[in-house]
Amino acid sequence: MKENDCIDEVVRVKDVFFQYHGQPVLENIAFVIKKGSFTGLVGPNGSGKSTLIKLILGLLNRRERGEIYLFGTPLEKFKQWSKIGYVSQKANSFNSGFPATVFEVVAMGLYGKMGLFRFLRKGEKEKIDEALNTVGMLPFKKRPIGELSGGQQQRVFIARALVSEPEFLILDEPTVGVDAASVKKFYQLLLKLNQEKNITLLLVTHDIGVMTRYVTDVLCLNKTLHFHGTAQDFETSDLSSVYKHDVQLVTHEHGGFHT
Amino acid sequence: MIEALLKYEFLQHAFLVGGLIGFLAPMLGVFIVVRKLSLIADTLSHLTLTGIACHLFLTQHFSFFLQLHPLWMGMSFSVIGAVLLEKLRHIFHSFKEFAIPVVLSSGIGLGVVFLSLADGFNNDLFQYLFGSMIAVTKEDVWTVFFVTVIVMGLLMLFYKEILFLSFDEEQARVSGIRSNFSQLLFIVMTALVISISMRIVGILLVSSLMILPVATALQFARSFKQMFAYAIIFGELAVVFGMWAAFSFHIAPGGTIVVLSLLLFIVLLSGRKLLGLPVRVYRSKKEEM
Repeated sequence: MKENDCIDEVVRVKDVFFQYHGQPVLENIAFVIKKGSFTGLVGPNGSGKSTLIKLILGLLNRRERGEIYLFGTPLEKFKQWSKIGYVSQKANSFNSGFPATVFEVVAMGLYGKMGLFRFLRKGEKEKIDEALNTVGMLPFKKRPIGELSGGQQQRVFIARALVSEPEFLILDEPTVGVDAASVKKFYQLLLKLNQEKNITLLLVTHDIGVMTRYVTDVLCLNKTLHFHGTAQDFETSDLSSVYKHDVQLVTHEHGGFHT
Repeated sequence: MIEALLKYEFLQHAFLVGGLIGFLAPMLGVFIVVRKLSLIADTLSHLTLTGIACHLFLTQHFSFFLQLHPLWMGMSFSVIGAVLLEKLRHIFHSFKEFAIPVVLSSGIGLGVVFLSLADGFNNDLFQYLFGSMIAVTKEDVWTVFFVTVIVMGLLMLFYKEILFLSFDEEQARVSGIRSNFSQLLFIVMTALVISISMRIVGILLVSSLMILPVATALQFARSFKQMFAYAIIFGELAVVFGMWAAFSFHIAPGGTIVVLSLLLFIVLLSGRKLLGLPVRVYRSKKEEM
């Protein structure tokens, strides 16, 4: 592949297969995410969404077949991780008693970029304030992270992903456990990031109804890729109604499980 | 006390070493506690004993080892054990905690074999188990100083990496931090600090000097930076007054230091309650839901 071919491509996934303990999880996945797009990745529980994200991020590296390119570079050779921000499902991977302030948490987003023996300089502190301001959490700068609500913590984690000025942001189920009012504000924030800061977004979600109002592209995954196209095409397709039904059921169960 | 301190060189040595470990142990302890690795400190301290037992055994057969400080052998065992522990935790990823009893009991078993072979169940052993101030030599001071410089240097170099890994390993890896290397480095640093702390606090009590001041600090700190400040203050208080008490009342310093740390924890926690400040309760995510 020539460099010019992929200048507008943030992610290219080619014929990817993945197995977990002999069970096929992903089969023949191929798609491209264009620069500046806002893609929603939907699918029921266990459809392989998180696995796909982890493959793209290089957190899982035993894929059976296929190739993944990030910004035109094969994943294995990709080094510019600061171009990519990742916000995971916070419930999985963070100790809520951790004694750190909001500021300290956001500062971590810069650590991968900074060299050894380097401490935060004034310019970097300003960047942290700016990221906190973007997500509307600047007034909470000095508060311990554990004292914030789920929605507020999620905003802080987005600020952490933003602080290294990524060109591509991946969000894995960011609205799980966040109340309905915050969800709307949350999508508006994402829209702002996509349109004003020109950040390419990939959003993994169950919440198909709200999602289609904001995204430009939709990927529908259930072991194989069932749909890939624009949000309008998805709305008018048969898949939309089928998925809506399925996914809302799943969402309901999911909610019931947590509360 | 001041008079005695001016008069006896061994006391000066003891306080120098105590001051350094009262600083280092709680500082690493902050990371150990937030990473939920408290039992690892215990495991590594027992491995230090294995090393010292091995040294004792070897000196009886090879005169070369007589020139060597037993602490070096203790440190080597502790560091090797730390690496093994990391490997085991990696292989049995979903049963991480299982690595701890395996390494801990194997270490003690091997240590007991060495000690029996070397006829080592004597007074010296008690000093290693519960700490001593009398035994601190100038050489000890230099060894501890040397290790302090190395550990402080490494901690400053890799502070960011270790902090991010402690907070959220997955996120840290995504932002390009080499997790395996930093993890290994951290556990080796822990092994080193435990080995040097053993001189004063004793093998059986080292881990409490790393954990108790941090537990107290968790009640007060409002940021990660404050965690260090509080933990070090509480650690130093316990070490200095613990050594003073140990000297005045002829008690093994390991005991007095740990008892003082515990008292500090209880008094400050009750103080919070009496002043009407909330006692911080740390729940895990699952309980919240």
